Amino acid sequence: MSTTAAMLAVRGVDSGYGAAMVLKELDLSLQAGEILAILGKNGMGKSTLLKTLMGFIRPRQGEISFFGEVTAKWSTDRIARHRVAYIPQEKALFQDLTVRDNLVLALEHDKDFAVRFAVIASHFPFLQERMIQKAGTLSGGEQKMLLVARALICRPRLILIDEITEGMQPSVIERLIGILRHEREQFGTALLVVEQNVHFALAVADRYAVLELGRIVDTSSTTDEDAQARITRHLAV
Amino acid sequence: MNKASVLPSPRRIMSRRAIGVLLAVLILLLLTSYTLPTFLVNNLIRAFLFAAVALTVDLLWGFTGILTFGQSAFFGIGAYAAGLAFHHYGFSLLTAVLALTGGLAVSWIVSRIVSWLAFYSGASPLYASVVTLVLPIVLVQAIYSGGVFTGSSSGLSGFESFDLSLEIWYLISGIFLIAMTLGAWLFVRSDAGQLLVAIRENESRCEYLGIDVACMKTRLMGIAALIAAMAGFLFACVQMVVAPEYAGFVFGTELVIWVALGGRGTLFGPVIGTILIDVGSAYLSGDMPYLWKLLIGTAFVLVIVVLPRGLMPLLTGALRGSRLRTATPAPQQLEEAAPQPFQANHPFALVLDGVAKHFGSLPVLNGITFSVRPGELLSIVGPNGAGKTTLMRCISDGAESSSGTVQVNGFPTHSLAPDQCVALGIGRKFQTAITFDSLTVAQALRIARTRIQKPDRWASSPVLALPKAALDVLRATGLDQELERECRILSHGKKQALELAMVLSLEPRVLLLDEPTAGLTKAERTLIGSILVDLSSKYGLCLLLVEHDLDFVRAISSRIVVLHQGKIVMDGSVDEVVSSEIVRSVYAGSNHIQVEPS
Repeated sequence: MSTTAAMLAVRGVDSGYGAAMVLKELDLSLQAGEILAILGKNGMGKSTLLKTLMGFIRPRQGEISFFGEVTAKWSTDRIARHRVAYIPQEKALFQDLTVRDNLVLALEHDKDFAVRFAVIASHFPFLQERMIQKAGTLSGGEQKMLLVARALICRPRLILIDEITEGMQPSVIERLIGILRHEREQFGTALLVVEQNVHFALAVADRYAVLELGRIVDTSSTTDEDAQARITRHLAV
Repeated sequence: MNKASVLPSPRRIMSRRAIGVLLAVLILLLLTSYTLPTFLVNNLIRAFLFAAVALTVDLLWGFTGILTFGQSAFFGIGAYAAGLAFHHYGFSLLTAVLALTGGLAVSWIVSRIVSWLAFYSGASPLYASVVTLVLPIVLVQAIYSGGVFTGSSSGLSGFESFDLSLEIWYLISGIFLIAMTLGAWLFVRSDAGQLLVAIRENESRCEYLGIDVACMKTRLMGIAALIAAMAGFLFACVQMVVAPEYAGFVFGTELVIWVALGGRGTLFGPVIGTILIDVGSAYLSGDMPYLWKLLIGTAFVLVIVVLPRGLMPLLTGALRGSRLRTATPAPQQLEEAAPQPFQANHPFALVLDGVAKHFGSLPVLNGITFSVRPGELLSIVGPNGAGKTTLMRCISDGAESSSGTVQVNGFPTHSLAPDQCVALGIGRKFQTAITFDSLTVAQALRIARTRIQKPDRWASSPVLALPKAALDVLRATGLDQELERECRILSHGKKQALELAMVLSLEPRVLLLDEPTAGLTKAERTLIGSILVDLSSKYGLCLLLVEHDLDFVRAISSRIVVLHQGKIVMDGSVDEVVSSEIVRSVYAGSNHIQVEPS
């Protein structure tokens, strides 16, 4: 594996469902420690992109590589074992398992739990009191936080996040920006963040890309002066 | 007058092609009745009757999701009705009519008992499978215990029956199978038939659309029992022998396997699969008495491994792709439905008095008391875990709260099931959008209209009449251009919009919206917000909105309730609540970031 290889490289990827092609000749790259926000209206292919990257949908053509290794025929579990974490839009927890079990399942070795959880608990203190509660009995927003915690506890190299702010209270969203940026600074984690909440996306990411009908139509640094205006224009009905 | 009543007539029930296929099958049946060898005809009669029972298993399991092992019991009841009557009272036309009537009546009563046991509110699908598994076991035990009367393990044989040639029986059983298959095919393609798929996809969503799921399942179970009993009666008449094996659990399981091999949810697959396997088994058992079970078993394993969706999708795969159901989505035309008349008879649309909910020893809601007038848009805000969604559940399901009372338009909801709460005027949109994956957008919306506009049982309408608010949501989000698209491939935001349109299609008087704009863009949220304001101000609906986007809440609400740790900590005007210290400290944070560019 080349040390200079991008964390994630997507070249000319077509992907979709049945006859409906959602992503068209998509190119994308993400370096170590970089945070890229993917924005776009509904149905433009944001979630499909993450599902394709995670191997849930096979690309029709093009090439996807993680850390320099082409993953076209990799299964989802193999991609995950290469420390790529995925936080889906749905509350994809093991509903009948406890909060603790949901977290432990993300770890390769149970013995790491105590040390890793100490960090997680500093981010989401409520989890300490809910360790033996079934994940399905948490509220919608709390389940979202548990999803983030489960992704972080396995110390991933790359995290794919799909609309995490949906259902979260504003103060938690604010805290989440700090948590994700801290993760990047501490461990060099790269993040691909799909979002509808433009302010969150601009606050957390270094770079943004706007998806329109399966293609990137605009990409730039989030610190550009006109970034917000351009994004608002793209997202207008 | 509802515009739906003056809609263009439904599409033709059967296309010319379908009529052509039907005529070809009938002619083939007629030609083969006198040309096929007797042994094959004899086996085909049996296979046709078994296939009719397999068809009912497909309706129950393939389409509706009720995995049943009990259809053999109904077949057995029909068969034993004939066997017992002819054996003990001698054959006559009167005996035959009485036996058939008795067999059908007993089957129907047993199906009602099974449904009562299996489909009560909250029963899991597994429970229905267990009940239907027990039924044939109990029935066979009853036959064993019947001694001479039922023939015990030997069954009954040697009784007289109709004096008809084998060819005539072949035609009767063939026409019976064709009629049942045609009826089932027409029904599953109709608007009403889509309800079966909707129940399979999400029973809970159906209940919250005001559909009495238990009643629908009970009716379907009853019809399936009558068809199976009729097949059993014909079987006894033609074979002049009845045995416990035909009522037993092994036969019930074989039916499920035949359906799985033929292609679950395809109707024709189980029919063709049953005929091929039953006739093939008859030949193999004669030619290879020691090997045939091994060969059949190997074939089963191979088909399951290579063709997990059965044989039928292989035959039709090139034409239809990978879809489970047989209906082809047709273009739909949207129309505005006239609003349903409503007479407000209470000053408050919604009254909560001391509502509490606890999970075991963990209190989630405590002493929730407030009232909402028609035309009010009340937002409920609070931190994650405050109990907002639980409160929505307590309002929309009468059995949910631990104590306290909820009244909708003056009527208490105590112990009412969700579909009964919908009848009082409640409409609930869930926090996570729930639609019906394998139905199209138009079909999902039609399911949502079931309570108001009874769907056609034998045809599908080309026109979809919806209330203005639902049409506005569809147009605002572009879903009106995607009516024929399957729900499963909609984006998350569009699923949210579709669910909102489905709930608005119910024309509720009290609308519960749990984060209705999550996943939508700012522009779409603004449009949806104006639709919600119109619903409360112009149409006098009472809206309860759970939202985290305080700017959205501030823009559209007439009043806000703040929930914290299961209690109401504030109930006031928008300005009072938004500027309050409580909201800033427990909810929004010092610098909440949800303020988006205008």
